[in-house]
Amino acid sequence: MNENLFSSFITPTMMGLPIVILIIMFPTLLFPTPTRLINNRLVSAQQWLAQLILKQMMMMHSPKGRTWALMLISLIMFIGSTNLLGLLPHSFTPTTQLSMNLGMAIPLWAGAVITGFRYKTKASLAHFLPQGTPVPLIPMLVIIETISLFIQPMALAVRLTANITAGHLLMHLIGGAALALISISPTTALITFIILILLTILEFAVALIQAYVFTLLVSLYLHDNT
Amino acid sequence: MPQLDTSTWLVTIIAMILTLFILIQLKFHKYSYPLSPAPKTFKSTSFPTPWETKWTKFYSPLLLPQQ
Repeated sequence: MNENLFSSFITPTMMGLPIVILIIMFPTLLFPTPTRLINNRLVSAQQWLAQLILKQMMMMHSPKGRTWALMLISLIMFIGSTNLLGLLPHSFTPTTQLSMNLGMAIPLWAGAVITGFRYKTKASLAHFLPQGTPVPLIPMLVIIETISLFIQPMALAVRLTANITAGHLLMHLIGGAALALISISPTTALITFIILILLTILEFAVALIQAYVFTLLVSLYLHDNT
Repeated sequence: MPQLDTSTWLVTIIAMILTLFILIQLKFHKYSYPLSPAPKTFKSTSFPTPWETKWTKFYSPLLLPQQ
């Protein structure tokens, strides 16, 4: 049962070839490159969405922080589209892989922190000591702030992994239960099926929210450091 | 948990770096948001000489003091 339940999270390889590369690159096919001044509906809709997200996200940043606009819009679109594609049956969701999320979180967080150290050294070091702390508490508070700084990339990665994995697991389990209950008691199977539908709606929301949260936190770390 | 099997981590991370930092950004950096067309303000290349900036007198041949 364990083997079967987690089998959708094994990195797909077909006869030794890592087709996970193709699966990760697939969402880029869904964003066509605009070639004209006035584009077709799909490209125009995506441009409108990108502008909406950019205006909302980049408003609070200084000009230095706004140089990250391309990175952040790519991040939110990539995670959002990958999560949504993962809701299709029998598909593989790359964001369930801890490797990929760590690979996204650590470089982005490190980039924001190192930018802060390079350009505003005093201000970024001052983050380690909140204002108005009593003098005897200072050493302990510096240690706590350091730990909370270094846990940021881990939390980013594990948050995304755990949320998407848990959602997928729940859908597997409840779907399997609904299927098994049909022969035992159809009423209970119907109730379970309704729970499954509600859970699927939740998973749509979670897919988008997790992309937003990831990007928002990276944006926040950037704001602290620019 | 299959996510903790580190043998596939390198492939996944490299594929993700390629996609996120190169492929997707190549799609999004082509998005342009042009402003609505508006007439451009003219900038003249010739500058008025100091005596031409102020129109103080009206010179016409018939208004010159007659000789």
